[in-house]
Amino acid sequence: MNCAECRDNLVACAEGLLDHSEEQQCRAHLQTCAACRAEYTAVTSLQQRLVARGQAASEVNLVGTVMRRIQREQSKPERETIMSTILKHRWGFGLGAAGFAAVVVSISLLGTSKIQAAAAEVMAKGAQAAAKLTSIHLRGQLRTPPADNFSAINPDADFVTVELWKQFGTEPKWRVEKPGRIAVMDGQSTLLFIKPDEALKIPRPSSSAFDTQWLHELANLSQTLTDELGASKAHGWPVTLANVQGADGKPKSVITVEATSGLLTGDYLKNKFFGTADTRRVYVFDDQTEVLDSVKIYLHAASGDKLIFELDQIDYNQPVDSGLFQLQLPAGVKWAGQMQMLPDNEKYATLTPEQAARALLEACSREDWTEAAKFFDPLTAQEKESLGGLQVISVGTHFTSAISLISGAQFVPYEIKLKNGETKKFNLSLKRDARTRRWFVDGGI
Amino acid sequence: MDLTDKEYVERCRDGHPEDFGRLVERYQKPLFSFLASRVENFPQAEEAAQESMVRAFLSLKKLRKPESFYCWLLGIAGRVAKEQFRSGLRHQPDPDVAEALMPAISDSAEAYPLEAAIAVLPESHRQVILLRYYEGLSCQEVATRLGLPLGTVTKTLSRAYALLRQDLQARERAGQTVNQTEQP
Repeated sequence: MNCAECRDNLVACAEGLLDHSEEQQCRAHLQTCAACRAEYTAVTSLQQRLVARGQAASEVNLVGTVMRRIQREQSKPERETIMSTILKHRWGFGLGAAGFAAVVVSISLLGTSKIQAAAAEVMAKGAQAAAKLTSIHLRGQLRTPPADNFSAINPDADFVTVELWKQFGTEPKWRVEKPGRIAVMDGQSTLLFIKPDEALKIPRPSSSAFDTQWLHELANLSQTLTDELGASKAHGWPVTLANVQGADGKPKSVITVEATSGLLTGDYLKNKFFGTADTRRVYVFDDQTEVLDSVKIYLHAASGDKLIFELDQIDYNQPVDSGLFQLQLPAGVKWAGQMQMLPDNEKYATLTPEQAARALLEACSREDWTEAAKFFDPLTAQEKESLGGLQVISVGTHFTSAISLISGAQFVPYEIKLKNGETKKFNLSLKRDARTRRWFVDGGI
Repeated sequence: MDLTDKEYVERCRDGHPEDFGRLVERYQKPLFSFLASRVENFPQAEEAAQESMVRAFLSLKKLRKPESFYCWLLGIAGRVAKEQFRSGLRHQPDPDVAEALMPAISDSAEAYPLEAAIAVLPESHRQVILLRYYEGLSCQEVATRLGLPLGTVTKTLSRAYALLRQDLQARERAGQTVNQTEQP
């Protein structure tokens, strides 16, 4: 092999793409030619640098957060742009509170703008009081299925305790916990544990992850309160300010704001998550300390307003046990990881959502877990036990939610009969993996 | 089918804002990596990347060359990183320490021009580099994804490496930082 041929093959050689004979010839030339060797070293050195850069960002996924922020920005009246004409409402963490009506001291003589200004002053003081936090601990009661997504809400579910501990500073750490799952960011990586035996790791720190954003927003009072007032002003959401006597006998300022999600009645995701719910939020500030005392959130459900979240404890700047930021996982935990390219990946990448749903369900029916894992990974022993041997009754036509614009989720109606005789009729949530372009199960099973 | 940057930008402007998500998907990792070397920690890099993307979307109509989207985005990100750095200094209680830290942002920016060099590659070359290194695909997987012969992918990579090395050497010589072709 001469120099020109070697240079032509350098990248293929460095990538391990040459056949045995070609690679031997290339390497033999490199041993004898200092110039080509220097070129080869320069290529591999650049490759290593690129690999390191790529690995540092391997788990970054900003799409949902960025698109939500864009919607929020769009809701500001001074920024009428393309998005705002399509998405008229803020879809983030809504505001709300009806339950305080009985104790509200009416300020109806004030115009809306004056109420806004007065509420802004109370909130600004609260934000200022919370601006130099070293740590925060929030504990609240949330109506949610205990093991479901951190932002899932269900007005018919019982209350369960949800907590967040956050340590600020040069190396922030946090932990969010509900009965069925725990998320921990220890300063180095971010871990989600879904009880009893499933885990997911992001090998780097993150400011929030695994649908804990709404709690982090609540912890970042300064930004949240600014956002809430801006959104209420932009949409004309009713805001009331009341001065009351708290249960502890101290004077309190109570701000309530109504919010709508922007999702139409009948949208599949409406009122299922914080970001898709029509709510009323009540902030209670202590007039003496000026800090936020509590938050209550009411859902405007078809059956009437219902309290779905109550923040009943806020600890500012209290020492946090460092053990809280460590998570010991049980042995045999199943790790959810990045979807891998398959030898016949294209076959799966070109499936429609309906075809993917049917392929998954039929694989479960055959108990072909290797095939099922191409759509749903990891499958826990509990899931295999429940889904194995199922009978597919029907798979319908997929539909979307308005929120699919952001999340990319497609919903496929299905009806199955489980081997225990139970019939299940529900909607499978599928998303397409950005890297492999394959559909994977995001929920609904 | 993946569209070009120019096509996605034009679609966003033409009433398909959801397509901005495809641009976020395409550039979130190199953008994060670019910022990670300019700010204090990964959470800050993530926040700066989010902020940069949001600002880019809101300024999209001002982008004169849609095909230079990524280059322009890095320019925005560079400014966001500087703002974040200065904001950090404002909270630095010791003015002497703050003064001493001031040159750090420009120094660190000069030391990591890789993503800036990637930004000025021809789009076809940039796409292969991003898929290979930031999406972690093998050459064969890149070929499948783009519908190209494997040989074309390795030749494109080879040319991309040569262009990157030329650019990096030129930047080192000139002590140049981010190539910002447009202001948002």
